[in-house]
Amino acid sequence: MQKIAAILVLALSLGWSAPALAHKVVAGAYASGDAIEGEIGFSDGEPAKNVLVEVFGEDGTRLGEVRTKEDGTFVFEPKAAVTHIFRADLGAGHVAEIRVEASELPASLAKGTPPDSAPPAAAEPAPPADSVAMTAAQRAVVAELIRNEIRPLRREVIAYREKNDLQSILGGIGYIVGLFGLWFFLAARRRTRAG
Amino acid sequence: MHIVDGALSMPVVAAGTALAVVGLGIGLKRMPTDRIPAAGVLSATFFVASLVHVPIGPSSVHLILNGLAGLVLGWAAFPALFVGLLLQAVFFGFGGITVLGVNTLNIALPAVIVGYLCRPGIQAGSPAVAAIWGAAGGALAIALTTLMVGIALAASGEEFIPAAKLVFFAHIPVMAIEAALTGAAVLLARRVKPELFASPATAG
Repeated sequence: MQKIAAILVLALSLGWSAPALAHKVVAGAYASGDAIEGEIGFSDGEPAKNVLVEVFGEDGTRLGEVRTKEDGTFVFEPKAAVTHIFRADLGAGHVAEIRVEASELPASLAKGTPPDSAPPAAAEPAPPADSVAMTAAQRAVVAELIRNEIRPLRREVIAYREKNDLQSILGGIGYIVGLFGLWFFLAARRRTRAG
Repeated sequence: MHIVDGALSMPVVAAGTALAVVGLGIGLKRMPTDRIPAAGVLSATFFVASLVHVPIGPSSVHLILNGLAGLVLGWAAFPALFVGLLLQAVFFGFGGITVLGVNTLNIALPAVIVGYLCRPGIQAGSPAVAAIWGAAGGALAIALTTLMVGIALAASGEEFIPAAKLVFFAHIPVMAIEAALTGAAVLLARRVKPELFASPATAG
């Protein structure tokens, strides 16, 4: 029993000091310009390389597919203003599923206008004489800059969501102690009544 | 080791849940009252053990310690490991709620099997012999668990051999670590508290 307690303490201290956790799929996706950008990987920081990501609508219709790159990221261009569900099978019982709600879709789609008729956020080499086109191009550049600035932040938020802190570990142990205490109590009461 | 929601087909989930409920029932029935605290400690150990990750090559695996649970608890490993899995799913998102039955079965059934196979070796013989039996039990429990995960994935449409191989080979280091840990735990328990491995199945 002392050994078990020792293992428990060891496990606790190791689990505490290691920020990355074993073998859990971490995934996130967000609108980025006209496209949805996403990232899939394992919780120990390993990206899911060259994994097929299938895209489904809420009703199960297949909207398309993409492959993740070497760094586990993918870019998907949505065509319809519906909720997108990204599904990737990483094998051995690991499945990543990301939901992007219709309201979170790129602005050009969320407005309900087809993407080609929407004002192009992607910078086309527009005639520089046209001041309106200049503004659109500038806007695209600024949007791109902001996206690049925000990207690490987004990743951090996704990683933070997966973080386990000591509180939840202790909370879990507390639940276990309580549950088994209850069980012990019930069993003991039954025995007292029987005896 | 934890299969997540949506990775398995419906019949597999249903069958796994049904079998896990049977195991839970047997475990709760056969548990002698004075063993309940031990079950709680092992449940907590299992709950925390999966947070210890062992980096292996490109990926990493975590400890399970179901062999030790099976050796000490026998059938009561089912409720102990079920509680651990439930809380892992709720707190950390390991595995999922719908596949809880399958995961319980995959981890607790090997524990019970190891309990039956290796406990006589632990009760008899010198502490050194008992430690070897314990180590064998620790490794066997992981091997059986990988086999069961492979079967569960295969039954859901993944090809059995590659799926099972992948899971099995990824867990060879875990088997080694758990063999050492379980062996050491058995050795110590035999010296300081030999009655820990008395068969709870007959006592209850």
